[in-house]
Amino acid sequence: MSLRLGAMLPEVLKHLFKKPATVQYPFEKIGVPKGFRGRPVMDPNLCIGCQMCVKDCPSEALEIHKESEATDEAGKVSKKFSMTFYLDRCSHCAQCAEICPKKAIHMNSEFEDAAFDRGALKIVYK
Amino acid sequence: MSTFILPVGPQHPALKEPTSFRFMVDGETVVDADLRLGYNHRGIEKGCEERTYIQDLYLLERVCGICSNVHMTVFAQGVEKLMGIEPPKRGLFIRCLMGELERVHSHLLWLGVAGHEVGFDTFFMYTWRDREIVEDILEMISGNRVNYGMQTFGGVRRDLDEMQIKKALDGIAALKARTPYYLNIGASEPTLVARIAGVGVLPKAKALELNAAGPTTRASGVDFDVRKDDPYAGFGEHIPFNIVTDEGGDVLARVVVRAKELMESYNICEYILKNLPAGDIRVKAPRKVPEGEVVSRAEAQRGECIHYIRSNGTDKPDRVKVRAPTLANWPATLYMLRGGYVADIPIVMAAIDPCLSCTDRMAIITDPKGNEKVWNWETLRQYGIDFYRKRGIKL
Ligand code: SF4
Ligand code: SF4
Repeated sequence: MSLRLGAMLPEVLKHLFKKPATVQYPFEKIGVPKGFRGRPVMDPNLCIGCQMCVKDCPSEALEIHKESEATDEAGKVSKKFSMTFYLDRCSHCAQCAEICPKKAIHMNSEFEDAAFDRGALKIVYK
Repeated sequence: MSTFILPVGPQHPALKEPTSFRFMVDGETVVDADLRLGYNHRGIEKGCEERTYIQDLYLLERVCGICSNVHMTVFAQGVEKLMGIEPPKRGLFIRCLMGELERVHSHLLWLGVAGHEVGFDTFFMYTWRDREIVEDILEMISGNRVNYGMQTFGGVRRDLDEMQIKKALDGIAALKARTPYYLNIGASEPTLVARIAGVGVLPKAKALELNAAGPTTRASGVDFDVRKDDPYAGFGEHIPFNIVTDEGGDVLARVVVRAKELMESYNICEYILKNLPAGDIRVKAPRKVPEGEVVSRAEAQRGECIHYIRSNGTDKPDRVKVRAPTLANWPATLYMLRGGYVADIPIVMAAIDPCLSCTDRMAIITDPKGNEKVWNWETLRQYGIDFYRKRGIKL
C-alpha cells in the first residue's frame, strides 16, 4: 500500500471503542473536590463587625451592617451584624474567609450560580 | 511588483482577542507586517494604585486567565522583597509546584490550539481531554480551575496533605505516560510536520536581537530561562531540571520545545511532591509596605514575566508596571511573518502563544492636533460606565 498511515490512525481507531470523555451535564454531574471555592457563607452569630472582610474584598462584594445592640444586666454590650453579599461581583477568591478573625465566613461548594435576575444574586446573611 | 495591504483585525475570526495587523502582501506572500496594539486595555495597572496590596494580588492574577498564577507569584515575591520577609521553604516549594502545574496546563492547551490552527482537530481533542487531568489537580489543591489564588505575601495560602500529594503524583504519572505520544505526533506525523516545518523561522541571532522570550526564543537555540538564570522561589533550592532548546527556529521547533518542556515540568512536580520540606507554608506579612522600589520576575509558560513595583509606605502601591511575555515576542513575530505565506499567519501567530489582554497596558490618545490625553482611574471608570449606559445596559 503506497498510502502512508499517519502516527495518529491507530489511536483514532482505538477511540472508536472508548467511552466518551465528557458527561451529559446537567443530567450528570461530576461534583467538586473538598476545599472548592464556591460562594462565601457568613454566620452572623460569630461576626464581631470588624469589617476586615469588607476592607480586603477585591471586588467590593460585601457589606456589613449593624442589626442590633443590646446591653445585659451585667452591662455587657452585645451587637449583632448582618452581611449583604453581592454574588454577581464576587470573584471567589476566598480572601474574606481567610481574613475573618472569627472564622465567620466559609466557602460552600455551590457552583451553579447563574440567575436570570440580578436581584437574586444579592444575598443577605442575618 | 504590485503589493496591497491586507488588514487583519481588530476584530477578526482568526483572533480571539482584538489586535490590528496590516500585512503588505504580494500575491500569497507577506512582504511586510505591522502591528497596532491597545484594543484590549483594561486599566489594571492604574487600578492597582487605587487598591490595597492584598486586593492587587487578586486583580493582577486576572491580568491573564492562563498565566494567572505567575502574575500573582511575581507580584507577591516583589512585595515580599519590599516588606523584607522571606516565605518558609515549604511555601516556596508549593509556589513552584503551582507554577509548573500551570505551565503543564498551558502547554497542553497550546498544543491543542496549534493543532486546531492547522486543521488538526483530533490532536486538539486529545490534548484538551488530557489537560483535564492537570486541571483536576489544580482544582483539588487550590479550590479553583483557573485563577487558583494560591500565592500571598509571605508564602502560599493552602497546604497539601498526603492524600492530595498521592492524587497529584498519580495524575502526573498519567500525563507523563501520555506526553511522549504527543511529541511523536508533533515531530513525526507527516501531514503535521509538512505543515509546520520551515514555517515562521526565527534564527538565533534574530531571537537575541529582537528580545524574544520563553519557548519562542528557546526554540531558536537561546538557552534563557529565568528559573535557571535568576532562580526564584524554590528554584533557588536547586530543584533539578533542564532547559529545553532546539536549533530549528520554526513552528515545528516550538512544538517540540513545548512538548519536551512538559516532560521537564512533570519531573519538577514529582520532585517537589516527593521532597516537600516540612514546616509552615507562610509567614505573617505587614499590611503597609515600606517605601522602595523593586523589579520582580519569573518564567511564565510564555516567557519572562516582569513586574515593577514602587511603594510609598502606605498600604497601596504607588506604581505597578507589568511586562507580560507576549509583548516581548511581538517584534520577533513580525519578523517571522515576513516572507511567509498568508495561510501561515494564524499558525505563526499562535506559535508564540500570544495573549493580548496581557499585553495591552496603556492608551495615550493623541488627537490630530497632537494633544495627548492621559486618563486617571476615575475618568476611565466613569467612561466605562457611561459607555454601557448609553447602550442601554443597566449598571
Ligand atoms: S470570595 Fe473574594 S470576592 Fe468574593 S466576597 Fe469574598 S473576598 Fe470578596
Ligand atoms: S471579618 Fe468576620 S468578624 Fe469581621 S466583619 Fe467580616 S464576617 Fe464579621
